[in-house]
Amino acid sequence: MKSRPSHFKSFLCVQVLVVAAFVLAFVLTDVQAKMHLQKEFLGKEPFTPVPIAIQQPLRIKPLYDRPDIVSDEDLAAVLNQILPRFENEHMKPNHIEHSLRTWGIHATFQNPEAVSGMTMLKFLTDHASYMESWGNEMKPLLEERPTGIAIRWGAEDGASYHHDHWLACVTEAGATLDTPIYGPSGRDMTLQNVLQESLRDFRLDEKETEWTAMGFGLWIAPTAKAWVGSEGRKFSFDLLAQRLMRGQKQLGVCSGTHRVYSLMMLIRLDDEYDILSDSIRGAVYRDLEQVRDMITASQFEDGHWTENWPDGKNAVENPIETELYKSVIATGHHLEWLSIAPPELHPPDAQILKAAKWIIQVTKDQTPEEIKQRYTFFSHVGAALANWRQVHPADFWHKWETEHPYQPETAAAE
Amino acid sequence: MSTTIEDLALEQNETSPVQYQTEDGSPNVALLQDRSPKWMRSSRAALVLTSALGILFLFASYMIPIWHTDIWGHLSYGRWIWEHGQLPDTEPLMPLSIGVSMIDTAWLSQLGSYLLYGAVGVSGIKFIFAASIVMTAGCISIPLLKRTNNLWAALLSVGVFFWVDYQQLLIVRPQLAGLVCFAAIFAMATSYRWRRAYTILIPLLFVLWANLHGSFVVGIAVLGALCVGRAIDVYLKTKRLKLVFAERRTRELFLVTELAAAAALINPYGLAIYSEVFAISSNTNLQSLLEWDPLTLRMKQGRAAAAIALSLVFLYRLSPRRVSFSEVLILVGLGGGALWTSRMIVWWAPVAAYYASLHLAAVWANWRGFPTVAERKGSTTIALLGILWIFIAISPMADAVRHGVPKDHKQALAKLRKNVSTGTPLDAVEYLKDNPPVGQIFNTYEWGDYLLWAGPKDLQVFVASHAHLIPTEVWNDYLQIQATAGNWSDKLDRYGVNAVVIDKQGRSNLIEALEGLPAIWEKKFANNTGAVFYRKKPI
Repeated sequence: MKSRPSHFKSFLCVQVLVVAAFVLAFVLTDVQAKMHLQKEFLGKEPFTPVPIAIQQPLRIKPLYDRPDIVSDEDLAAVLNQILPRFENEHMKPNHIEHSLRTWGIHATFQNPEAVSGMTMLKFLTDHASYMESWGNEMKPLLEERPTGIAIRWGAEDGASYHHDHWLACVTEAGATLDTPIYGPSGRDMTLQNVLQESLRDFRLDEKETEWTAMGFGLWIAPTAKAWVGSEGRKFSFDLLAQRLMRGQKQLGVCSGTHRVYSLMMLIRLDDEYDILSDSIRGAVYRDLEQVRDMITASQFEDGHWTENWPDGKNAVENPIETELYKSVIATGHHLEWLSIAPPELHPPDAQILKAAKWIIQVTKDQTPEEIKQRYTFFSHVGAALANWRQVHPADFWHKWETEHPYQPETAAAE
Repeated sequence: MSTTIEDLALEQNETSPVQYQTEDGSPNVALLQDRSPKWMRSSRAALVLTSALGILFLFASYMIPIWHTDIWGHLSYGRWIWEHGQLPDTEPLMPLSIGVSMIDTAWLSQLGSYLLYGAVGVSGIKFIFAASIVMTAGCISIPLLKRTNNLWAALLSVGVFFWVDYQQLLIVRPQLAGLVCFAAIFAMATSYRWRRAYTILIPLLFVLWANLHGSFVVGIAVLGALCVGRAIDVYLKTKRLKLVFAERRTRELFLVTELAAAAALINPYGLAIYSEVFAISSNTNLQSLLEWDPLTLRMKQGRAAAAIALSLVFLYRLSPRRVSFSEVLILVGLGGGALWTSRMIVWWAPVAAYYASLHLAAVWANWRGFPTVAERKGSTTIALLGILWIFIAISPMADAVRHGVPKDHKQALAKLRKNVSTGTPLDAVEYLKDNPPVGQIFNTYEWGDYLLWAGPKDLQVFVASHAHLIPTEVWNDYLQIQATAGNWSDKLDRYGVNAVVIDKQGRSNLIEALEGLPAIWEKKFANNTGAVFYRKKPI
């Protein structure tokens, strides 16, 4: 009879002990482990929104004003070629994104055929505007998710072509963090939601990370060097830089030149915000020096580079058969990253001059139809050349149009 | 033990003279009485069983080479922990997994085996491998022998366990430590008499288990099943719910299950150890590994399991022994787990071996009568200990303790070669050490662990057996490359792979494909097990 209360007491003691053990274990569990627990047992992702302290995105200022590389007249001629003359029907997000990053959100044009920066921004950020162009049958560009808003990307019609390209372009265009984003249901979203969703679903080993690096760098560099993704992996700008340097140099978007631009941008951000460790910064710098040496050796006599620029001297000695647009890609993109690179990462000045001369002439020689077909590549030429004059294309164009007003007859004759 | 004839003499009838000597003048041993404590006495059957386990120990020590996967990876993590004096919070060894969160559920096994390897070399690994198998077999067979007095049943349990689990046991990994804990806990929890010490011993064992391997949750599940099964049995017998918890064994099992679950929290990760166990088992990368496939009859272990399962059905039909609900729950639960993923067979086999032998002994007793209770003697225990000492003394571990670890590299390599599976890339690694590749390498999963362990310093291994720590994209790319599927060559370029280190088994297609690209790849090394290719122009 006496044993029953004693059993009950010991039973109760064990219950208290066990509950206390689990409570204590939970209290003592560190943040990372708690995230792990929540992920496995509650299905809650470890990602927590990354703090962003700025409303305006950072801008990487070009370092040179070189009229000897590109004159006002040549710059105007090139910019005139890449005016955003897009028809409203079936506007390609990839073209709009390229145009917007080049011209900026505040761009206006006297030419009525040209689409303003704000209109382009609206097309990319407002589902209703997108539907006006593509109709109801097309899948939305803006994908609403419980966790935020994402951009439909890939090779299919009406999609942004590259992952995070939309984000990088809207950011480079100067859109503020509170820019409203209207998805199909019109939920109250802003650019901040797109950015956080992108940070959340980022995968380091996906095929392209060039624009991710840009989009993230221009927003979070002042406040965060690292963050945790939805799977619990710790990401950092170090990792992003390593990923951008990985593999054969030509194997990246636009013959690998976007990787170079993104790496250069990370170095510039690191100058100001110390986002890279010393060892990784050193590795990135050495990588860019390699690129410098490769393009120094691989430039053709007339100033252009081809897509196999990483082959160095061999690219010139054993030239490959290639199409013009591929040389436009390589030459235009190299001029673009060089415009934000310190002089020690430049090939000899004469080579930059030659490259600029070649690309200006080629761009001027294109018919409107040819430009339309290869708009994205030529937009980089305009952006690069404006950088070499340390001027924003929209500002330059506005001033140019003030001095050289738009004349419909002349435009029609052209 | 002391045996005196003086005491015996007192007990003799004073009328009959004590014959201290036999007729031929030699001492009369019949007068000797066993004065050893009862707990120290052993039967001849125990001696035979010990000898059988000893033979199994030597067989595992000498005849089963160390498998080329897993253990080397675990040793590498153990080395990292030792060198850094801390546990990694992200994957530290594979460059393509940087930043991937890591909860090291086997840290104690890794550290322990690394230190043992450092002390006695590969013999130490062979020792823990063989000892784990024998201890598990012992935890099944010794209680069986005590319970049934049937030596053949006990020996059969060892045979069944080894037969069904053979493929799983081949791979040296922390799971073996988990298996020993499992068997020990199972033996205690199913013992005929519940001892109070078990209430302490079992949770203590769980503290150890939770730090040795993530499989401790299987132990908690088995304890839970034993408790639930017992409760059902009591209810079916009494039809009174109140009595279920009043029954001592049910209550003890319930409490010990709770205490075990709490004890497992004593680990460096606390509560997160539980979530990690579930995270690993549900990791999508593992779906492409054969050992995580469901158990089928196409597998040897599947056929063995099917045979034992059928035998169990047959034995249950014949056995006069009551079939407890607990054993049905455990057998069905663990069996179902094995059908889900074949790795679970490792837990099912000892349980099935135990119950099959238990019921076979009961059938035998029903048919031929109960075996006579064997005489237990202290002298048999002496013989048993002597046999144990002999088995240990002639093991590779004892040899290493006596003679030390070879200092000369060639001798060490020769010894290693004798002790590891032929699939171990010993020669390929020697080549890599002499000609260290620059940057990223591509290697097959099976070789990743040994490359991490023995490869040149800072070798950038692509994948290793800790597949759950590899980003899904990298793992999928790995699968494509090793199968020469899709744009595999382009992927090698994109990862900046400058050397390919691959085994021949199942990868001859990749070897042929690389041989077909002589402008890019040059075969630098090849032998019966694999090949090493270097990129002509490193990226």
